[in-house]
Amino acid sequence: MSAPRMAVSAGGLGLKNPVLAASGTFGYGQEYAPYLDPGAIGGLVTKGLSLRPRPGNPPPRIVETAGGMLNAIGLANLGLDEFLETKLPWLARQQTAVVVNLYGESQEEFAELAARLSQAPGVAALELNVSCPNVKAGGMAFGCDPGAVGRVTRAAVAAAGQVPVWVKLTPNVADPTPMALAAAEAGAAAVCLINTLLGLAIDAQRRRPVLANVVGGLSGPAIKPVGLRMVWQAARALRQSHPQVDVVGIGGIMSGVDAAEYLIAGARAVQVGTANFARPGAAGRVAAELEAFCREQGLADVSELVGALKC
Amino acid sequence: MSACLNAKVLANELVGPDVYLLRLAAGPIAAAARPGQFVMLRVAPGDEPLLARPFSVHGVEGEDVLILFQVRGRGTALLSQAAPGAKLVMWGPLGRGFELEAKRPALVAGGMGIAPLGFVARKLEDKGILFHLSSGGATQEAIEGLEKKLGTSLRGRLECRATDIHRLFHAAQEAAELSTSTAPVSGICTSTTMDGSYGEKGPVTLLLKNLLSLPPELRPDAVLACGPLPMLKAVAAMCAEKNVPCQVSLEAPMACGVGACLGCVLPAAGGGYVRVCQEGPVMDAAALDWGRIGA
Repeated sequence: MSAPRMAVSAGGLGLKNPVLAASGTFGYGQEYAPYLDPGAIGGLVTKGLSLRPRPGNPPPRIVETAGGMLNAIGLANLGLDEFLETKLPWLARQQTAVVVNLYGESQEEFAELAARLSQAPGVAALELNVSCPNVKAGGMAFGCDPGAVGRVTRAAVAAAGQVPVWVKLTPNVADPTPMALAAAEAGAAAVCLINTLLGLAIDAQRRRPVLANVVGGLSGPAIKPVGLRMVWQAARALRQSHPQVDVVGIGGIMSGVDAAEYLIAGARAVQVGTANFARPGAAGRVAAELEAFCREQGLADVSELVGALKC
Repeated sequence: MSACLNAKVLANELVGPDVYLLRLAAGPIAAAARPGQFVMLRVAPGDEPLLARPFSVHGVEGEDVLILFQVRGRGTALLSQAAPGAKLVMWGPLGRGFELEAKRPALVAGGMGIAPLGFVARKLEDKGILFHLSSGGATQEAIEGLEKKLGTSLRGRLECRATDIHRLFHAAQEAAELSTSTAPVSGICTSTTMDGSYGEKGPVTLLLKNLLSLPPELRPDAVLACGPLPMLKAVAAMCAEKNVPCQVSLEAPMACGVGACLGCVLPAAGGGYVRVCQEGPVMDAAALDWGRIGA
């Protein structure tokens, strides 16, 4: 039989396959160049970018936990100007969709970042980070309030012109649906979920938190059931009211079958995150395994999986 | 160029209390590795535990990579059980290694800090540079075996002196004198233990203090140190006081090893942070803000 069609349309982009590398786990792409040709995956999402450089949180910043890890990096990044000058030119030459994750402390900062990035050659889409649990201003504070999500998204969409805007949502809410609907209503091309789950690791002997930031975001295979549940909730709601808005599934994807599960829950594309740390090139392996899964299942098109959950 | 491969375990030998010497077949990594660089190694087949662990390269022999490690937690406990024939995912070599341009280098190892310095010692021997190794640990049991093991990996002799190092550094005639016996001397080793069971009693910095007190023409012209952060902090301060260049090999919790996760940072001189995996693991001690590094 012929190879399954892996190309998808998701979040306003045509992707060669539905597997992207998630923000914060793939650096600016070049870090993984010895291990993975970015052209093997549908896209990559860059480390969260702010207007000005941010040093990030004091160490320790990460700790391994059962089936996952906690991080409190604090959105360390080199700032917009340096990114445009030193990172984007290499990214723009890769045969893959470059999605820039951005973070502002105010609606105005989100808009300014969106305006400047959308004019830069090579930026396929923007992903608004309204869900970082490790920063005090903006971040999750925006992401838990549907009104704020709507305002930030609307401002970024207006500033971004033709460049699609994705909104990355937090799982640190009882129900992500109001945030997904607010982003959709404000013109987002996709909602991406989930970001990390707020957690705490304790060193019992020292009676101290392991991370200097005390709390951090949990990622890795441990969070996959939460991600699947929230993708399913958001996709179901959007299908009713905003069928043009796609869901991008994130959370604990280690294998092609994990990716298939997210598609079945309703995602049009997926992002591979922590798995990239565990094995460089993991996102490429997930893409290859997803294709193998489609073949085994006798599918002509990977998109046949999308929303195929029977319940 | 770094590579990611399935490395076959060739040997995994107990060489000290909870200390293992692991030999892996990894040609491309062995060919590219320089002293001070590290690898990321998954400690067991499969996806558990989730993250790989960073290990400095203890040496390369032909196509083999040697890793010296101590059982500290779950990951290293699993790794200690890796049997010959097992295949483990490994990527590297990673990070920046040591500059080996000094004429009178002093290596300072705190406990398992000897791991990267073993590779340094062999490279210095290849270059014909006599080195001094100060090795410190908790007890005789903890360090004597490691020193002996290092000694046997050299072609020449590692002249071990438990005490009395005051006169023993790098006078050319002295090296010649030492070399008159059997094999030529490649390095001189002195030791300290916290319990006094071997060498001088006290921290390894005692030995460095003596070395740095030598007259300038005999004093080390570079210090290469690896060990716990409080020790490195003390070493950095002593070297700074005597204006002796000091390179430290650093350790930090690390998820990716390639500069993406930003988990392994330490405070940088001048503000901000440096990534141990990229700007390190070997750094000029002056590039760190030791005031912000707890001891």
